[in-house]
Amino acid sequence: MNKKPRIKDNNLLLDALIWVIMIFVLVACVVPFLYIIAMSFSSSRAILNNRVSLWPVEFSTEAYRQVFAYPNFFNAYGNTLFYTFFGTLIALCMMLVFAYPLSKTRLKGQGIVMKLVVFSMFFGGGLVPNYLLISSLRMTGTVFAILLPFAINQFNLIILINFIRSIPEELEEAARIDGMNYFGILVRIIVPLSTAALATVGLYTAVFFWNDWFYSLIYLRSTQYPVMLLLRNIVNGTTMVGEAGGVGEKAFIAIAIKSAVIITSTLPIILLYPFLQKYFVKGMLIGAVKG
Amino acid sequence: MKKLVSLLLAILMVLGLAPLALMEEPIAISLYYSDNATLPFRQDWPVIQQLEKQYNVKLNFEPIPMADYGTKAGLALSTGENTPDVMLYLSTGGAYASYALNGAIVPISDYAEWTPHFNARVEEMGLQQDVDLNRLSDGKLYFLPSLYDLPFYDGGLIMREDYLKAKGFEPPKTFDDFYNIMKAYKEDFPDSYPLTSIVGLRVVQRMTMPSFGVSVGRNTGTGTGTLSWNYDTNEYFAGAISDEYKAYITFMAKLHAEGLLDPELEQDNASTAKKLATGAAMAVYGYYDQIGGWEQASEIEGLKLNMYPPLEGPGGAHHQPKSKTGGGLLFPIGVSKRADFEQVVRKLDEVFYSEEAAKLWCFGVEGDSYTMDGDKVVYNDTILGSADGIYKYMQNAYGTGCAGLQNVWYLENELTKYDENYARINADVAAMDNAIQYTVPVPSFDDITAEDASLLQTTLLDAFNVWDDEFRTGKKSIETDWDAFVQDMKDKGIEKFLELYNAHKKL
Repeated sequence: MNKKPRIKDNNLLLDALIWVIMIFVLVACVVPFLYIIAMSFSSSRAILNNRVSLWPVEFSTEAYRQVFAYPNFFNAYGNTLFYTFFGTLIALCMMLVFAYPLSKTRLKGQGIVMKLVVFSMFFGGGLVPNYLLISSLRMTGTVFAILLPFAINQFNLIILINFIRSIPEELEEAARIDGMNYFGILVRIIVPLSTAALATVGLYTAVFFWNDWFYSLIYLRSTQYPVMLLLRNIVNGTTMVGEAGGVGEKAFIAIAIKSAVIITSTLPIILLYPFLQKYFVKGMLIGAVKG
Repeated sequence: MKKLVSLLLAILMVLGLAPLALMEEPIAISLYYSDNATLPFRQDWPVIQQLEKQYNVKLNFEPIPMADYGTKAGLALSTGENTPDVMLYLSTGGAYASYALNGAIVPISDYAEWTPHFNARVEEMGLQQDVDLNRLSDGKLYFLPSLYDLPFYDGGLIMREDYLKAKGFEPPKTFDDFYNIMKAYKEDFPDSYPLTSIVGLRVVQRMTMPSFGVSVGRNTGTGTGTLSWNYDTNEYFAGAISDEYKAYITFMAKLHAEGLLDPELEQDNASTAKKLATGAAMAVYGYYDQIGGWEQASEIEGLKLNMYPPLEGPGGAHHQPKSKTGGGLLFPIGVSKRADFEQVVRKLDEVFYSEEAAKLWCFGVEGDSYTMDGDKVVYNDTILGSADGIYKYMQNAYGTGCAGLQNVWYLENELTKYDENYARINADVAAMDNAIQYTVPVPSFDDITAEDASLLQTTLLDAFNVWDDEFRTGKKSIETDWDAFVQDMKDKGIEKFLELYNAHKKL
């Protein structure tokens, strides 16, 4: 008789603890973001005099006006959207057609190909050889230098392979008996049943393309640069050491502008999360456990 | 009759087009440019438009973010792929010397007859020796440096002038004066740390150490980190373990211990601005350009900042050493394969070093940004009335005065873009006894020696930075731990490092 309430109490205590921790995590994540939003809409004077907390002071949209006036800002934004959309689309298509056959353990050579995939996950060619490879393929200065080399990510591929393995083989057998070929099975059975995994992998890939600045820097021309490179230059780009140190040291970019750039460049990808979250969580769980 | 008129008109039209057909196609040149986010590059800057028109050239700039410029340029040079015709704002220091000696960069001194304007400016400014110091171990020059007739005093000690006046302090002349002012401020505002810095400790070190007769640490003096240059004997000495450094670090430790030195020196410029704007600091080692922004940001009534000449210490009154040559035009080897290589070099020489182009890069387009009143440059009303100040406004609106683009700098011309106060400070500094000493040229190491030196440099500098930090913050005692520090630096090879540098010095 006495045990029941104790369990309840324990549950209550545990629940409370979980709530406290989760609220703490939530606050830790949301407060800096709110602070950045508040600063982006405040005057520089108010920010520098420590008068801004979580609400804009001396409301101003000047920072956004200046950000939008940056040469190439909209062009860079357009580039980012392009790389993110088409990069993710190409990546999903390529990973799907790679993952499906690799999910079949009966396939000859599947083990060797898997080992090669895993090997390349841990050992890369290095920056210079990769650059020479992309260059010799005449892809530098073209969008393909970003879209193609990163189309297959080994980690995402393994998630997808494991997910496809978890789909009952009987479904495919039934389809084959009905005369469907492998491509048909992939498109009509595997893809519709893999939305959770595809959403997860798609989100990972989209975030990669959205955040990338380094590969764009080395492979592309300035007119093709994504917004993240512009953001990096604005937020951190004035740091330069060595002979030219003075130029960077003199540079001063208002905190309000930095904040506005951070908001404009991160908001779209943040907004994507809630729509994909349900798939994301499911995909993570299912992909992680071999079925 | 109608047909005759038509024929005549047709002939006239063809004749009218003839000059166009005869005009040479502009030479297209691709350039890497180090783009500063505070001054975003614009291809439509009037200066660039005018240069293209005036010299019949198409300048295809590739603006690369400043922080990543080295990565992009280094990768292009090391692979030899996708290199532009010219890279701006680079010299052959560090890894670039290796690229040059391994054939990735055109030895531009081999084509001296193609750069008559550069040669003329060097002669006119009397900079032949300074330029020659940039030659590598094979005796060749691998880039055309930017040229300065006199070093600028564009940054240094900036302090609250209003506080000095209110308390009856004279402008400081020595580090003792400076200490007394900071001490008074600390007493008035106990929560403050009177001296702060932009970017980090390295700026303070770079700008103050020369007055103590030494220049060591990250990003200072000789670029070696732990060696210094003796300007009397023209040789390196082990600055990090010298008595001069001991005197310097003792002074800094005193500032730290008494709460006069900001303990958070590694900061971005916005944090510095905050501290100055709120009175949490009253002095900073920074740049004159920044004063306006800091003053505008403050809500303290009457806050007025001013820049002061270098303070006198045990080693005299000196600012950070400066070179009369800087990063300039570096030609990747690929451009030499162009059939019109000679024309490209000649064109770039004209665009960056000719007398007319130098005026354009400094003043903008005559009749647009300025007019001449006799010998005097008069800027237009918009420029003169700009809240950003002449210099900054012209940079953004016209593309003048941009480091990396302008390669010929005359102090007198530049001062026309600043207020009288700045000109006065520069005149005061110029009148001092060698306040801005020359920078020591990088020794002519071969590849293997350069690697040995680089390994020693990293080891020594890493250890030095730790000791320096501990001495300054009082974690280690200068009195009791000094010998251990010296021994540690010796164990890490400072004597061998010194020997290497003295054996290969250029002066």
